[in-house]
Amino acid sequence: MNQQLIEQYVTGRMSEAEAAAFEDYCVANPEFARQVEFEQRLKAGLKMVASGSTAEFVRSAPADRWKIAVAASVVLAVVAGAFFWQRLPGLQPQILAAAPVNDQHEFASMRLALIRGVESLPQLPEGQVRIEIVGLFDTGFHYSIALDRLEKDKSIATVALLNGQHPTSPVTLEVLIDSTQLEPGSYFLRVRKQASDEEALDFSFVKT
Amino acid sequence: MDFVPGGELSRRIREGDVSAESELIRQFEPGLRVLLRRRTGGDHGLLQDLVQETLLVVIQRLRGHGLEDPEKLAAFAAQTARNLAIASLRKTERQRTDIDSAATERNPDTSRAVEAIAEDFEAALAVRALLRELPQSRDRLMLKRFYLEDHDKDVICQEMQLSEAAFNQALSRARRRFRQILEERGFAKRDLLNLGL
Repeated sequence: MNQQLIEQYVTGRMSEAEAAAFEDYCVANPEFARQVEFEQRLKAGLKMVASGSTAEFVRSAPADRWKIAVAASVVLAVVAGAFFWQRLPGLQPQILAAAPVNDQHEFASMRLALIRGVESLPQLPEGQVRIEIVGLFDTGFHYSIALDRLEKDKSIATVALLNGQHPTSPVTLEVLIDSTQLEPGSYFLRVRKQASDEEALDFSFVKT
Repeated sequence: MDFVPGGELSRRIREGDVSAESELIRQFEPGLRVLLRRRTGGDHGLLQDLVQETLLVVIQRLRGHGLEDPEKLAAFAAQTARNLAIASLRKTERQRTDIDSAATERNPDTSRAVEAIAEDFEAALAVRALLRELPQSRDRLMLKRFYLEDHDKDVICQEMQLSEAAFNQALSRARRRFRQILEERGFAKRDLLNLGL
């Protein structure tokens, strides 16, 4: 068995009979199977990255990093402005806020993730709710989060917007929602990587 | 680690040797994961369930009346996995047509599903790191076209003005680096722990 056969199997270029013979060989040969699994994971990883954006495949070379640095400085300035703006009392209703770090306060929590095949939507608990958004985040970037409401005429109204949020881990981004200020209905959090052309990810939930 | 032939494993399990059952799991689990990964469409929870179920069926069969040809133990395990995957797919199809409205109103157990997709996240993080390191956009596009867009190698080579040797070399470099990144981050080690090795 060689690398070419692994490629053919992983990219689906084998007939069913060939694939079955290949699989029998894999089951009998654990070391070989591990090689195949790495190849499968490479494909799965590429698929997941491409599902967020194709920009990462066509971006320019690292020589352009100074431009990113300039863009990052601008973002930082905007984030700093937004940070202080949100903390000015009485100016900004805190429907959507940054999740406090290491806060001792006990919030209700809700986890949102893009899960294929799930047919019902998570329900937002009452009160201040810590929302854990599970996805693939780039810790080197900031994210904007819009809280959108789906109206009866199917139009979308943005209820709140929060910029400059930093992921708490490569797979988690946290925010705080005050559910008491929301009317019952269908909502979604639109998460967008700032300073990039990646498409936004939508995480739906309902408020009863 | 030593490889124990299927015939010997079959005999020892039939004689009640528990260590042979552990050995069977160690030997067969990687291959079963490969086979079932292809048939579970990225649902790692289902993949893990089917791997366990397959191993259980195989061990019970060996503890009972055994196989006609014990040397073909690996082929029997692979076929069992394929059958279970088909049965699971049929069951899912049936459930899709029998959805009751009450069930759709219940909240999904997102925590289990989130854990199930964590493995793809890890691979995606490694891919992202790999893409950052690749100096030429040509190499990144080549990976995308080969793995995701199902373009044939010779078509990619022709359109990107690459020799087959250069293509294979770039692919091999990317593959090696991907594996290295996963291992550096401890993902491979974690996988081994998951496998109970």
